[in-house]
Amino acid sequence: MVNENLVKDVVKEPYKYGFVTDIETEKIEKGINENIIRLISQKKEEPKFLLDFRLKAFKKWQKMKEPDWAGLGYKKIDYQDIIYYSAPKQKEKISSLDEVDPKLLETFDKLGIPLTEQKKLTNVAVDAVFDSVSIATTFREELAEHGVIFCSISEAVKNHADLIEKYLGTVVPASDNYFAALNSAVFSDGSFVYIPKGVTCPMDLSSYFRINSGDSGQFERTLIIAEESSSVSYLEGCTAPMFDTNTLHAAVVELIALDDASIKYSTVQNWYAGDEEGIGGIFNFVTKRGKCLGKRSKISWSQVETGSAITWKYPSCLLLGEESVGEFYSVALTNNLQQADTGTKMIHIGPKTKSTIVSKGISAGNSKNSYRGLVKMGAKAKGSRNYSQCDSMLIGDQASANTFPYIKSQQPNSEIEHEASTCRISEDQLFYLQSRGIEFEEAVSMMVSGFCRDVFNQLPMEFAAEADKLLALKLEGSVG
Amino acid sequence: MEIIEKIKNQFNDNLTEIQKICLDKLQEIPLPNPKSEQWRLSNRSKFSNFLNYSVNEKNPKFDTPFPNTSQGTIRLVIGDNCQINLIEENYSIKQLSEDKLVKYIKEQISCFEQNENWSDLLNLSLNSTKNTLGLKINGSEIPPIEIFSHASSNSLNAKTLIIFLEKNCDIDLLQVNLGKENSSLSQSTFFCLEENSSVNHGVVSYGENKSNLLNSLNVIQQNNSEYNLGSLHFKFNYARFEIRIKQSAGNAKTNIKGMQITKKDEQISTFTKIDFNGPNGFLDQINKSLADDKSHAIFEGSIIVPKIAQKTDASQLSRNLLLSNLAQIDTKPQLEIIADDVKCKHGATISQLNEEELFYMRTRGITLTEASKLQLSSYFQEIISFIPISKDRWDLLDKLLKEN
Repeated sequence: MVNENLVKDVVKEPYKYGFVTDIETEKIEKGINENIIRLISQKKEEPKFLLDFRLKAFKKWQKMKEPDWAGLGYKKIDYQDIIYYSAPKQKEKISSLDEVDPKLLETFDKLGIPLTEQKKLTNVAVDAVFDSVSIATTFREELAEHGVIFCSISEAVKNHADLIEKYLGTVVPASDNYFAALNSAVFSDGSFVYIPKGVTCPMDLSSYFRINSGDSGQFERTLIIAEESSSVSYLEGCTAPMFDTNTLHAAVVELIALDDASIKYSTVQNWYAGDEEGIGGIFNFVTKRGKCLGKRSKISWSQVETGSAITWKYPSCLLLGEESVGEFYSVALTNNLQQADTGTKMIHIGPKTKSTIVSKGISAGNSKNSYRGLVKMGAKAKGSRNYSQCDSMLIGDQASANTFPYIKSQQPNSEIEHEASTCRISEDQLFYLQSRGIEFEEAVSMMVSGFCRDVFNQLPMEFAAEADKLLALKLEGSVG
Repeated sequence: MEIIEKIKNQFNDNLTEIQKICLDKLQEIPLPNPKSEQWRLSNRSKFSNFLNYSVNEKNPKFDTPFPNTSQGTIRLVIGDNCQINLIEENYSIKQLSEDKLVKYIKEQISCFEQNENWSDLLNLSLNSTKNTLGLKINGSEIPPIEIFSHASSNSLNAKTLIIFLEKNCDIDLLQVNLGKENSSLSQSTFFCLEENSSVNHGVVSYGENKSNLLNSLNVIQQNNSEYNLGSLHFKFNYARFEIRIKQSAGNAKTNIKGMQITKKDEQISTFTKIDFNGPNGFLDQINKSLADDKSHAIFEGSIIVPKIAQKTDASQLSRNLLLSNLAQIDTKPQLEIIADDVKCKHGATISQLNEEELFYMRTRGITLTEASKLQLSSYFQEIISFIPISKDRWDLLDKLLKEN
């Protein structure tokens, strides 16, 4: 007989990215008010339209109420106790990576994201964001040759203000929800990608987000625009040190795909999840949305969520263009007292649009893992189709797995299919594998990996390896 | 608050104890929270129309489109002169005394969650004991029972049914809710199944032009009981069917097959909450909706499996047909699971009639209208054949096909 506790032990693994980089940082005073927003805007030397955008968002945020419908049950956040801008002190303008503080480079090196010329990841351009600012972006010249713009959003505000003014807030308006409004008011940095017409981005683009400071929130904003017939694959990774306080991360990601364009957005989220008693950890309240504006455009979200004390995240697709395609592939692993409420929204507006949802939730310990998704067929979405599959795996009898699919149709000539199931690592399966000479740990790992295969197959190569490693890390280790 | 005042005026403060308790609770939440999951899709103007009619305790002459053709069936009509006290060799059907009724209802109220049980609170506030029928059934070879609730035009009626099914008892029960033109009917049913008992329960709600219905069904199942529910709701301007089933100690079986058909600008919704409170529970549920014209059909089903409910086997399927460009369907089958050794699954589909099947039949010389009817009849048949008693005699299928 397999000891139940063994399976529980297997999912315990210490957090490897919990170190703090000792670096001098420039922080503004705690709290949020109009002056703070003006100060952030001033520090970033922003044009007036952006300051107006921020102030308008702030006014809306003040009138809004923090949502509680997900029933996440966390301690009330004191928004006046957060530092909204924190940046490592360095020379004002950096012309090359050599001028970046070596401590920062070392930090990213330790995280497995080398930024220095000689160690650069092959064929992946990286934008590294440390607390509130972007510290380096690699492969910029190579990308520029193809007309691809890949830089931090602060730089884009300075150099490509027209694009920012045209697209910022068009997918996720400031009034969209409480956290999006907060982000719109105080966002500090993030990545900006522009792929011109007809260009297939020659390499994968990547952003790496690192929270270092314990008392500041991270509010980054990502904007990706894919012009007609262009395509890009974008990867996002994140880690944070271990603090016994909760840190707020409220990001906004906006994607825009025009005719025949395709955007693939992959995330491996490994923020600090708090300790076994649920102390500390990141509150990950993120709004991600893509707009398939053009005909035959495609937006594909894939995510591996393993970190954060609380995840509240619904990467969505607005399928406006005829024959546009939305995809969502997700693996969410929760352990100890983690809570994940994640899913997607597929809003079919244009005719012949298609969407696929594959969500795999694994809950262990005392965690709570929920899939919450919306599929909506608008009145004009003739000939549209959706297929959703949500599977949950439970490890131990204290974890909870929930599925809340909201399905709405106003178009008879469309089809929606949804299915969900729950399973566990059964003793029979483990016994079978072990009787074939496979060790217990490996058997568990194999079964989890097999459970997640549909999603891992969708990840870009570099990430698939990382994701597999990450799950393996969480699932291996402490069986003695 | 209007509804509370209306009830108080109607009864000139001659309220029963139960009415007083429920009215007090209603004071705290005079209307259901429109933002709550249970009520967010409810059409507000239709709902206020439901409440608009004047409260009426009198019952009109009973007439029904469903003829009483079988001699062996016991037919009861909830209302003024409904009385039964049958003691036969093998079985007995007795009416519950008022004391026992009050005691049981009080127990139930103490477990109410105010927003979730708002329909029951309203029902019990509206109803003095006149329109309450409480039955205690035991024995074997019990003849099938039909129980009718009917509304009267231009008024808001409330009917309450309480049934205790004693150990090892097995019955077929059909409940029929009849709407009248311009009427609102509030029906609350409390069903308690003791150990080893089994019931085939049918609920047919059949409205008329501009009739409204708030139908709430609360079932408690004890060990080894089996509860089979077949339900059909159609021809209501506004109808809500709330089903709450609790397997109080697990080891029970529940089968539910329900259907709602909406046309014109009707809105019919079904909410189910199945709570497994012990191990080895079983559920097989299918809910079908058909929405035509400008209508709106809603299904929300939740399955709750706490830690104690190991080895639960639950499945839920929502199948929906959307037949018009202006109609809409909302469905939300949901699972909340904490126990790990369980088999739970759900599925949902929304589509129109299968074009390939229609094409096949047409190539065989069947007209489009006939082919559609054939498809619909197979869609309906699965549910109708699950409704006890009615299936052989009432030609429900013909009725439905004529209407569609």
